[in-house]
Amino acid sequence: MSSNTPKTASFSSHTPNPARAPSKSLREDRSAFPSPRTAGKPATGSSSAVNGAVPRVAGPPSPRTKKGKPAQYDRFIPNRSDKELASSQFNIARSDTEQPLDGATIAYHEEVARACGVSINKRILSFKEEAPTSDRDDLRQVYSRPALKSNASTTAKRRILNTPERVLDAPGLVDDYYLNLLDWSLGNTLAIGLDQSVYLWNASSGDVNSLCQLEGDSYVCSVKWTTDGSYLAIGTCDGDVQIWDAESQSRIRTMTGHQARVGVMSWERHMLSSGCRDGSIWNHDVRIANHKTAELIAHSGEVCGLTWRSDGALLASGGNDNLVNIWDARSAVPKFTKTQHTAAVKALAWSPWQLNLLASGGGSHDRHVHFWNTTTTARLDSIDTGSQVTSIQWSNEYRELVTSHGFPHNHLALWSYPSLAKIVDIPAHDTRVLHTAISPDGQTVATAASDESLKFWRIFETRTKSGKATKNGMLSAAAATAGAGSGLLRGVPSSGAGSGSGASSASDISHPAHFR
Amino acid sequence: MSVQTQLTKGKIDLKGSAQIVTEFFLYGLNSILFQRGLYPVEDFDRKKKYGIDVWVSNDATVKDYLQKIMESVEEWISAGKISKLVLAIKSRESRETLERWQFDVQLVEEGEKAKGPKSEKTLQMEIQAIFRQIAASVSFLPIVEEKCTFNILVYTSADAEVPTTWADSDPLHIKNPEQVRLRSFATDAHRVEAMVAYRRDPDLC
Repeated sequence: MSSNTPKTASFSSHTPNPARAPSKSLREDRSAFPSPRTAGKPATGSSSAVNGAVPRVAGPPSPRTKKGKPAQYDRFIPNRSDKELASSQFNIARSDTEQPLDGATIAYHEEVARACGVSINKRILSFKEEAPTSDRDDLRQVYSRPALKSNASTTAKRRILNTPERVLDAPGLVDDYYLNLLDWSLGNTLAIGLDQSVYLWNASSGDVNSLCQLEGDSYVCSVKWTTDGSYLAIGTCDGDVQIWDAESQSRIRTMTGHQARVGVMSWERHMLSSGCRDGSIWNHDVRIANHKTAELIAHSGEVCGLTWRSDGALLASGGNDNLVNIWDARSAVPKFTKTQHTAAVKALAWSPWQLNLLASGGGSHDRHVHFWNTTTTARLDSIDTGSQVTSIQWSNEYRELVTSHGFPHNHLALWSYPSLAKIVDIPAHDTRVLHTAISPDGQTVATAASDESLKFWRIFETRTKSGKATKNGMLSAAAATAGAGSGLLRGVPSSGAGSGSGASSASDISHPAHFR
Repeated sequence: MSVQTQLTKGKIDLKGSAQIVTEFFLYGLNSILFQRGLYPVEDFDRKKKYGIDVWVSNDATVKDYLQKIMESVEEWISAGKISKLVLAIKSRESRETLERWQFDVQLVEEGEKAKGPKSEKTLQMEIQAIFRQIAASVSFLPIVEEKCTFNILVYTSADAEVPTTWADSDPLHIKNPEQVRLRSFATDAHRVEAMVAYRRDPDLC
């Protein structure tokens, strides 16, 4: 027999392994004795003892560790069917949850229970059946006024402040209703025509620089960025249209030909439409030398409103003859004409979300905004705004539009569409608001008035988180001092506007804000 | 046997006392169900009891339910095996215990009985006081907006006979509760103490 060291730990606390009765032989030993369960000890394996050898008494039960001896053991299991392998396996695996409690342990448990305030002699019983439910509403609650449910939208109320986010000086702005001297590019640069010069204000950095200065007596009549913001078209009072590259700040070409001043322009990709004081609208292909591609004559008064639809299929024009003409891109005859307005139509805007929806606003005699379905030519709706309408801007994010006004109130009005409910009136300027432009992110509207100020209004504050990032980026950086050399377009701090993001929060302290 | 005849005999014996306590529990539970709005107001009727108006459910299922419970409870009280009766009000959705009404039942010690039989009037006044307190508790108990259900728990001794309608349960304690001890009453054989525990209003802390 192998004389392995008797490593058997004892199976119970105090007594040595009863299997080691000397008379039994080793082999019978193993077969007859399914491994009794003890405190986590594997009882199979190399339990061996020589006959009569005194097994080591381990004292309190301790897990037996295999000593890592090379396998010298003889695991001969003679009679497998005799052994209850399943149950013995189970017994080994089971932890000692059912150790018979001896007196000491019971007393200990009681002490603990007393300390915890739990009485172990008590049972806590619960009636198994569930209580009957009553689905009827409690009348007390039905008849008492319930707490008003909050709006379905969980977005916070949008604040539309009465004060501008930023105010810039715009000296020399010509006080002429028929001109269009303000435009905001996709690259976040604002172009403004001040008398003979055009200034560019970078909204992100706050830099100002003068783009150009016209010769002689001519003055700037209109400015318009291309849709991608790379080129700026400038219409002059001589009838010239100059194309400037904003990046290099150089003039690319000059397109002449108009008999009178070019008061309004609109880009459609490579095509520029220019509206003239003589009532003609010319389409120019700026890529070719012979730039004039079409002449659209349908107005008898100065063309003051001109805007292409975003898909380039239709062109809307408004004139001093109170007409609104809708042109198909391929024809030189208007698709249809609207005569509802009783004053010059300068304000024209296509809806960004509904392609055939056009809003047009009339001058001081008319004061109405009409909504047109350009597919059916029907007039959908009208608003009497109460003041001369100078421009309309639709919001991308909200179903709203903002109209700017001149006589008599000189304000901005925010309307919801299609309900046409007026959301808020913003007293914008001291004199008539002549031009507006909307920022590329759609949140801010810039207004220029003949009181020689350029104000920025955060009307369409975005609800999305990503918008928040741009909020600070859009008008960030102090614009208190202009760039070198310009000196004209100075930033006048609005109430509390210091640098960048501090502007909006500081300026709303003293002024009542409108809540959306 | 009605309580009245029991009382006129003078001393209330254990069985009668058990009946009084069970009856108290029944009406008490009904009152709590009414006050806490667990069932709509239309489901309750007013009854004259203990010299005051008590609200009792007229809904058959509820009455049946409570009756079944009270049968077992009465047995335990008579056997002296019950130590507490608990009404736990839980939210239906979250299954969280919002309120816990606990009634401790103790056998009156031999030594205390010496004062002589309790008069019917005193007993009634004591029970009345508890009912008034239950009604008044509306003023400090937090308003329960959500739909609730309730569970009846019973603390018994380990050797009590438990019918199959009851099962072991955990005590349904409230975490960090506010506790208010209400008045108690005692018959000649039993002493009942009442207490309500409710969730602390997180806003007030």
